[in-house]
Amino acid sequence: MLRLQGVSHAYGDIVSLRDVSLDVVGGEILCLLGPSGCGKTTLLRIIAGLETEYEGVIAFHGEDIRPIPAHERGFGLMFQDFALFPHLSVADNIAYGLKRLGLKRKAIGNQVESLLARVGLADLDERDVASLSGGQQQRVALARSLAPNPRLLMLDEPLGSLDAQLRDQLALELRRIVKNTGLSAIYVTHDHREAYAVADRIAVMNMGSVKQHDKPRDLYRRPRCKFVARFLGMTNVYPNSDSRILNLLGVTQSWRSLAGSILIHPAGIKLSDDIDSSALSIDSIVESVVFRGGFIDVTVLTETDLRISFALADLSLSVGDKIRISVSRDAIIPLEESHV
Amino acid sequence: MRRARELSICIYGIPLAFLGVFFVYPLLSILDVSLRPAGALDLSGFASLLSTDYYLGTLIFTVYQAVISTVFTLLLATPCAFVFARYRFRGRSLLLSLATLPFVLPTVVVALAFASLLGKNGLLNDVMSSLFSLDYTLIQLERTLAMIIIVHVFYNFAVALRIMTSYWSSVGIAVEEAARCLGADERALWREIRLPLIRPAMLSAGALVFIFSFTSFGVILILGGIRFATLEVQIYYQAVNMFNLPLAAALSLVQILSMMAMMMLYTSTQKRLHLAIASSRTIARRARTGLERLAVGCCVALVSGLTLAPLLALVSRSVLASGRLDFSNYASLTEKSRGSLLFIAPLDSVFNSLRFALMAMIAALILGMIASYLIQRPGRLARLADPLFMLPLATSAVTLGFGFIIALDEPPLNLRASWLIIPISHTLVALPFVIRSVLPSLRAIPPSLREAARVLGAKPLDTLLTIDLPLLGRGLVVGATFAFTVSMGEFGASLFVAQREWVTIPVVIYRLIGDPGMASYRQSLAMSVVLMLVCAGGFIVIERLRIAGVGEF
Repeated sequence: MLRLQGVSHAYGDIVSLRDVSLDVVGGEILCLLGPSGCGKTTLLRIIAGLETEYEGVIAFHGEDIRPIPAHERGFGLMFQDFALFPHLSVADNIAYGLKRLGLKRKAIGNQVESLLARVGLADLDERDVASLSGGQQQRVALARSLAPNPRLLMLDEPLGSLDAQLRDQLALELRRIVKNTGLSAIYVTHDHREAYAVADRIAVMNMGSVKQHDKPRDLYRRPRCKFVARFLGMTNVYPNSDSRILNLLGVTQSWRSLAGSILIHPAGIKLSDDIDSSALSIDSIVESVVFRGGFIDVTVLTETDLRISFALADLSLSVGDKIRISVSRDAIIPLEESHV
Repeated sequence: MRRARELSICIYGIPLAFLGVFFVYPLLSILDVSLRPAGALDLSGFASLLSTDYYLGTLIFTVYQAVISTVFTLLLATPCAFVFARYRFRGRSLLLSLATLPFVLPTVVVALAFASLLGKNGLLNDVMSSLFSLDYTLIQLERTLAMIIIVHVFYNFAVALRIMTSYWSSVGIAVEEAARCLGADERALWREIRLPLIRPAMLSAGALVFIFSFTSFGVILILGGIRFATLEVQIYYQAVNMFNLPLAAALSLVQILSMMAMMMLYTSTQKRLHLAIASSRTIARRARTGLERLAVGCCVALVSGLTLAPLLALVSRSVLASGRLDFSNYASLTEKSRGSLLFIAPLDSVFNSLRFALMAMIAALILGMIASYLIQRPGRLARLADPLFMLPLATSAVTLGFGFIIALDEPPLNLRASWLIIPISHTLVALPFVIRSVLPSLRAIPPSLREAARVLGAKPLDTLLTIDLPLLGRGLVVGATFAFTVSMGEFGASLFVAQREWVTIPVVIYRLIGDPGMASYRQSLAMSVVLMLVCAGGFIVIERLRIAGVGEF
């Protein structure tokens, strides 16, 4: 539906996007995930038509939309700071896009009402936007961007300025509302948990380019490069040249040619029960334990001085315990060298 | 895309062209006349300037009176600023507003107000002689330096007070508490903490007061006369009374150069102001001890007395004749008094002033808005534009007026005989005020609001009308009021350009003072009250609507 081909962009000398190509399929929510400064917001602004100096091709349903100015694209964009109009009431904020379509006053009123109900803010129509809480502002911003029935909805860190508790709840609600509307959406975030919860597919970005583009589960199971693994919170990444890790894991010589790193996926690590013979058993000492509530984060030190971290539901471990861990062979994943 | 760019260049070009034709070109003409009076390089103007003790004396006196004015202003304002920053008392903000009122009052009004209060036949002398049945004049300040200094203090007190009060309020009390815990007593607090901390603000305020006093024109022209001529008065005198244009131009050049140097000094003191140890904790509290109450009382008395006494004296002089209420001064404004050099009845000048002020307001508003957009654009041109549009503020009105009459007197720009020259000159003087009022509001609009509007389908013009204008509202009203008030009271430039039937209120007041006879003088008092009320009205609008930081200089 939306197709980006070889999009590059620079702010002066600073390159913010390098040759990005992406497809957004109709009806799906695509997440752009990456650290701040990775170019995800710039990409959103280019699609919205707010940035006009860039290279590459953008097509929507096969039509080249590069010459179309922002106000004629019919895309919705929800801003990180919400960008609610401070001089307008809640209802007038939502009605803004409808008025630009030249709708009749009555029709606008009805639509605003149904939108307010949809985002759970009925009765707040005459309120001043400044008097709303962060969560309420977020809903008004969503309603406003949904109002003119956009052909594509873009959300720029829509939960970024809210506190953690509200985020989990609103992420689900956002997905539900967008999915019910049957829209295609691009959702920008730096939080991989949020991306897992909201997205149909995730494109991980770093330094202006897309590193991996996958469904959430596939992304988690098989991160392709060192950057993606680290960004998803996986810490057991070792250089391929380290002979200790090669010996320990019994990695074959052929892997060496894959110049890069090796990941021990935390999901494949558990306390050894000496039953699964296909798994590797490694003796180690518990170096640190961080209590996280229902589980603990454990870091162990192997006899060959290698640190391995994983989460464990057994809360009884303490520092200095000697334990044997088992590492499933599937959990040993070669990572490509991150090119730039 | 390309057409949009060309269009924006055209629009941004309008205020730049205005500044070029009506500001840069007249100043260049002054340069030309001063250096090449007869078409060839001739420095005789400068030679007589530097070789004659008289003109050198003018320069020295200009600096001298400005220094004294600055010292006295700071001496009065510093303790008051401390009281305002430290103590909460009823009417505090009202008093602070009141102290700012002189800032918008035209110089002719203020000069007459002080003459009414402290002059030979002034209110104070009347009161004193009837109270103590004196047979001599107690206060003899007419045509003295003291009188000029008093008026300068009146004008600049508020400027210094505001700068120092806000600075002192921003310096947290924690610093002093720390010093106390380390063993500092009250004396040590003043010597080692409070005064060193306030020094940057004092320097900045002092620089500004010095600039204002250095360029003082109306006050000195009316209260001092040629005996106390400053550079400004001398320029006017040489140009209008002596027709010595090369000398006037040379003096203007000296004036322009000194102003530039002083503005640079002022900007550098302002930069240091940002080093303040900011604290969000408010330090103002109620006065508790007797000494503290006394300090607050003195401060209230001083500020209200200094501000209100001359204005009340002016009003009472205009409506009281031999002890009875008498509005004949006002009634007589509809007629030209006999022997007057005026072309029109004084009241007609009110319509002139209103019309010119409206025109100047609209022009300054449009130009100021475009200029503000230009200034807040990213890029080098915009960075240059900000100081460029502030230049008229740093140029004395007399220099501007003089530049106008020597530059705009031949085709294609022969405006000297046209009334158009008046609103144009007022627009130029008002422009910096509009920009300073609009710019903070404009900068406060997050770019994402405009982008949100565009994504929602708003065309560029839609965005301007539905987002920018409503959000700029207050800044625009404040700017418009400033422009209107500045134009109503403008004196220095008007004296050059407002002639014959096109005279404005301040010019009429000045002419009436110069006319022989008591009738004209009484008319001038009545006219001054009218002008004072108009400006005070504008001031109230500005004070009520301005957001913190808007319109501060």
